Amino acid sequence: MHTDPGYEHRLSELDARIGRARLEPAVVGERAAGLLAGRIGCRVDEAHHHLRELAAEQGRPVHEVAADVLVTLETRTVTPPARLRTAADAVTGRRRPSAAPALPEGEPGWVAIVQQVLDALPGRRMLVAPRRDPDGVIVDYEFAAVSPTVVDLSGRRREQLLGRRVSEVYPSIVDGPVWAAWRDALADGQPREVGPVPYVSSDGDTPTGVTVTVQVQPLGPALLNSWVRHDEQTRLTERMAHTERLGNLGWGEWDLVSDTTVWSDELYRIYERDPADGPMPREESEALVLPDDEPVRRQAAVAFGRGETADVVYRISVNGKIKHLRAVVDAVRDAHGRPLKIYGILQDVTARESSRAQLAQVQRQLREHQESLAIEHRLAAQLQQIVLPIPDAPIDLPGIRVAVRYLPAEQASRVGGDWYHAAVARDGSVVLAVGDVAGHGVHAAATMAQLRHTLTALTVTITTDPAQLLSNLNELLYAGDAAAGTATGVVLRYDPATRRLCWAQAGHYAPLHTRAGVTAELARPYGPLLGALSGARYETAGMTLEPGDVVMLYTDGLVEHRSHTVAEGLAPVVARLNRFSAATHPPSLTDLLAELHTANPDDDTCILAARCHA
Amino acid sequence: MQTVSIDAKPDGVLDVVLRGEIDFTNAAHIVEAVREAIAERCPRAVRVDLAEVTFLDSSGLGVLIRAMKAAAAADASFRVERPTDKVFDQLEMTGLLVPFGIIEAGG
Repeated sequence: MHTDPGYEHRLSELDARIGRARLEPAVVGERAAGLLAGRIGCRVDEAHHHLRELAAEQGRPVHEVAADVLVTLETRTVTPPARLRTAADAVTGRRRPSAAPALPEGEPGWVAIVQQVLDALPGRRMLVAPRRDPDGVIVDYEFAAVSPTVVDLSGRRREQLLGRRVSEVYPSIVDGPVWAAWRDALADGQPREVGPVPYVSSDGDTPTGVTVTVQVQPLGPALLNSWVRHDEQTRLTERMAHTERLGNLGWGEWDLVSDTTVWSDELYRIYERDPADGPMPREESEALVLPDDEPVRRQAAVAFGRGETADVVYRISVNGKIKHLRAVVDAVRDAHGRPLKIYGILQDVTARESSRAQLAQVQRQLREHQESLAIEHRLAAQLQQIVLPIPDAPIDLPGIRVAVRYLPAEQASRVGGDWYHAAVARDGSVVLAVGDVAGHGVHAAATMAQLRHTLTALTVTITTDPAQLLSNLNELLYAGDAAAGTATGVVLRYDPATRRLCWAQAGHYAPLHTRAGVTAELARPYGPLLGALSGARYETAGMTLEPGDVVMLYTDGLVEHRSHTVAEGLAPVVARLNRFSAATHPPSLTDLLAELHTANPDDDTCILAARCHA
Repeated sequence: MQTVSIDAKPDGVLDVVLRGEIDFTNAAHIVEAVREAIAERCPRAVRVDLAEVTFLDSSGLGVLIRAMKAAAAADASFRVERPTDKVFDQLEMTGLLVPFGIIEAGG
């Protein structure tokens, strides 16, 4: 067999380390002589003499022979026949084959190496080293090296075991079967198996039903122990079954070489199949996949063919029930990537998928609700658009030019009931108005439409007097059903022939007037908001316009905000108007309106500006 | 704190106390509560305290107007008391100081 040079190197290093670990020759000689004298009943100086003779006979250094004697005597101390035999062997110079390398006990360097080996190996092992009395008789054992994964039934780990005496930690082990096996293994260097024996805990209590089999392997001057808990296999199986049940997990395995299939218990449960019938033939289980999900399964098969792990969710129909399965499929492959064994883990995720479906249902309803809100908003916007088309360009009326700007509320659901009116009446006067219906949405838009059409009808048929017009609108709203609510508004009549302006308002802001850089709120004649009081009276006010004068009507969105006062909201508007009317060549009305910003993005805003012709 | 609390006094006065911001989000609820109380108690007077109202929008104003109409329908007098400066300005603006009994007619 070819030997790996790295392996050789590591071996020789280990040897060198063991060599360095040997005791000083003089010490070895002293100990060997003392031990020999004690065993065979001679004086120490006689023993020294004997060792020297032995060395001379064998042509070896005295300390080497002494070391041999030491090892032989120390490891064969247990049974009287063995001791006699080893003593005789030592004296006659015969060396017995031994599993134990010639190592002194308790050597830290060597033990450290064993510990490293245990650290690297899987599984749980303990190295125990014998403790001897001055006569070399074993009186106890000490934990010399312990696998890092060891945890005993009392919860002790390596740190709590290393360096401690076995008799302290597990007193009830003393003189028991394991104790005897250790003694015998040290005596003959042969491995042993003990058990099943009851598990021994530190306080001597034996947990019911836990038995162990201990493997004892002589290693140097010490003993390597490994053990199997007899309940371990059972426990593993139980734990696996528990995990399977908890996770609705099942696994299956298909050996392509031997063409055998194995299913776990849970897989039978998922497929609702009697384990006595054996695994379901693959064609049969594939036929259970819903036709809709066949592409998903096929896609996974392609991925699997590329050497990837397939992970898919598909549905199967089992006994009329739809089950959602998550399948993770992987393979053991040969050097060419050809699968030798395919294994799959299947999880029944039906419950999860069902709640996901419910969530999707709720989301759909939510979306529908939002859509209906959006529909209402669209409807309100359309209604407003129909009732209130906002002209892009200024409207030229007799003696006056009018521009309108409408700023919708930012929030879609809050399209309001702002409206304007700008038209020539039958009597030749110009009627301008801006109004605001309380509330938002379709109701407000409907009320707004009602008000605006009524106003148009009234100016054509009955009156152009602002107070009269508002009074009529008030009665209309007050008489209407409660849902119509209230509204505010301001109405102006301008006579182009006389440039006489008169106005009235219903709970609304008075118009702004600007001339030569000075802007002021016009007087606000008394008038309660529309729809609140029956028989409310409205007063009027009036003034004469000069060429170039600008009058502006607006709704509250322009100036009102929860966080500041109306005066604060009005200030930037006034400032803008001041600059406008102060300019030698004022910009267009449209530009003026474009520069105004709504104070309250939650509310819609309507602004109407009218400039008297030069 | 509730935006509305209603207390029927033994002398036949229905005390309505409004608090906080009264706007389109809670207007319908308050109107309903006030209407129910008026229908149930048939008070001779309805008194609305606005001392703790910080904001009224047009829907909030609508609450007062509907309360006034409901009181009128039940032949009860209606009165609004202790508006803050801001609310006072709003009531002045909408011409409701007199109808709400905050100032005397002609005052």
